[in-house]
Amino acid sequence: MSSIIAKLGVPPAQEGDSLSSEANAALTAPTPTMNLLGQRRADFATLVESLEYAAQGQTGYNFYDAKGNLKAVLSYKDLCINSKILARRLSGLGLTRNSRVALIADTTPEFVELFFACRFAGLVPFAMPVPVNLGSRAIYVQQLKGMLESSGASVAIANPDFIELLDEVVENLGRSELKWSGTPEQLNLLPEADVVLHPNSPDETAYLQFTSGSTRLPRGVVITERALMTNLRGIVCTGLDVRPGDRCASWLPFYHDMGLVGLVLAPLAAQLSVDYLATRDFAVRPLQWLKLISRNRCTIAFSQPFGLKLCTLRARDSDLADLDLSCWRAAGVGAEMIRLDTLQSFSAKFSAAGFNERAFLPCYGLAESTLAVSFPDINQGVKSLRVDAKTLIEKKVAVRVQADGRKFNEFVNCGRPLPGHEIRIVDDADREVPHLAVGSILVKGGSVMKGYFNNAEETARAIRSDGWLDTGDIGFLFEGDLYITGRRTDVIIVNGRNIRAQDVEELAEQQPEVRTREASAFGISNEDGSTSVVLVVECRLASATDRQTLINRLQQMVYMAFGVSCLVELVPPHTLPRTSSGKLSRFAARQGFLKRANMEQSAATVYTVG
Amino acid sequence: MSEITQAQITELLCQRLVHFTNAEAEISAETNLITHLAIDSVKLLNLIMEIEDQFDISVPLNALVDVLTVQDLADLIYKIKSSS
Repeated sequence: MSSIIAKLGVPPAQEGDSLSSEANAALTAPTPTMNLLGQRRADFATLVESLEYAAQGQTGYNFYDAKGNLKAVLSYKDLCINSKILARRLSGLGLTRNSRVALIADTTPEFVELFFACRFAGLVPFAMPVPVNLGSRAIYVQQLKGMLESSGASVAIANPDFIELLDEVVENLGRSELKWSGTPEQLNLLPEADVVLHPNSPDETAYLQFTSGSTRLPRGVVITERALMTNLRGIVCTGLDVRPGDRCASWLPFYHDMGLVGLVLAPLAAQLSVDYLATRDFAVRPLQWLKLISRNRCTIAFSQPFGLKLCTLRARDSDLADLDLSCWRAAGVGAEMIRLDTLQSFSAKFSAAGFNERAFLPCYGLAESTLAVSFPDINQGVKSLRVDAKTLIEKKVAVRVQADGRKFNEFVNCGRPLPGHEIRIVDDADREVPHLAVGSILVKGGSVMKGYFNNAEETARAIRSDGWLDTGDIGFLFEGDLYITGRRTDVIIVNGRNIRAQDVEELAEQQPEVRTREASAFGISNEDGSTSVVLVVECRLASATDRQTLINRLQQMVYMAFGVSCLVELVPPHTLPRTSSGKLSRFAARQGFLKRANMEQSAATVYTVG
Repeated sequence: MSEITQAQITELLCQRLVHFTNAEAEISAETNLITHLAIDSVKLLNLIMEIEDQFDISVPLNALVDVLTVQDLADLIYKIKSSS
């Protein structure tokens, strides 16, 4: 859609092509907040059942452009009609039930229509990201290729903005099950097959969710209809306690679990209207999101901490006068570590615009458990715990700070598990630890994924034989509430993006100068609380020019793949610490790096990372 | 606004980019935005906002996948500007 904006002044050719906009010749008003239809709170067996019900009301999805103008309206009624037509067109392709359909997920009505069309047709959709980084063509193409291959996708669809990139992916596919690829407009030219659309069963796969921006080993989380509906019920009834009069606003990408499950599927399951701003438009002008909330009197809107930070950074005092955020009752925060000061700066800034800090709803979740795992009570605001920093590191126990003057870490309370779900903290030997002791966070319950698609090895690593999902996160429980203290060293989170350390290392190892197992990647915290990616590489090059060339190339590759700057350190062979089995220890590599950096702080070339 | 040439866009960009980097680095059309200027995602968004305001255009994200240097970015802006 960004290109629609780019072509302002030229007749927007794409508009008329969308099924959804046919009914919107006179686009004046978004779907209403109040519904004449009685509210049902996600008590459906399947997703299409939820849509069939919502379609009897007046609510739906609204899409806004970068300037805050209403661009498209897709009522649940139209969504239901349009997606059934598309389902019949897809059925004409003669795919077997549960075949996968890849969709490049820009924030458009077409994506939502196609997603539901797949469900009506008994197909399994999955959302692929849009490219966001400078110079990222090659890596983006590689990333999509990995997703198409690992999902064995039969169909791939991209809107005109991205079709050229998708075509490049398709040309590069080796042996593949792909039967059709094209734009939504091209799909609309296919005939509608005369078929009966069979209802879905709760045990069927509803969709796949790919995690992180992995380039070579994309993992598709398999979510069944039952897991999805269980999670939606938890979000709608417990997490948000949704009621008539609620309205949502979102800029979250449709290819992220929080954007898709939290702000597309959950509102539909409770028949709420939603106002969307494209992620790109939010990122460039974050205040548009707040203006949307203010203008349409939205009550529910989620963000990553990074999104809140962007708002705080960019808002001028003069902007606040036009905003009234007093309607916002559930300001969900999730998807990365939540720092208290991020929330405090946001409310300090926007309380002048009526923002109520009790609206903050810091929660915890992950795609492997559909989306949500825990929520705090609604309307209590942020609660946090100050724990002694020294005891935390040395004894792995969170001890509350009593006296002044002690160094402390402050952790945000992420609430209790949703009904039907349990959280357990275990130590390295897999023994459950007492309250306040820090360990790996395990989750069990109806929302947990079936596994990673076609990947028994990774599945076995994530889900224990007794059904507990290892989240990969570290934290503790206190009075039944969950506190996240960090991630294990295998994931680096920068500006809200999850980056797998292994992916960074693999990029390095693809360079001819770098051998396998001679690169180690990890994150370090900067003084301002941001995270930097560090890549330490063992290097045999002697010439300063060659070394600089390698550093530049590595920085460029990491940037193109993950959109972050990266500090590259070249060290002599055998510098990186290895475990007894010869594996690199990222934890030890990080310790070594920090030690060297402290000693050589002034001599080191400091590479700024924002 | 009168017609702007490609060279003028490049020059304007070089001037603007100085503010995005702490380095004293000389910025020319050939400067690599990633390796030389360390334009990360946050700086990129700021830069895009400035470009959009300055040139009264909208920069589509899909076009950025082919942008590596100042020249690439200037070409892109010129293309969008002249097709609007």
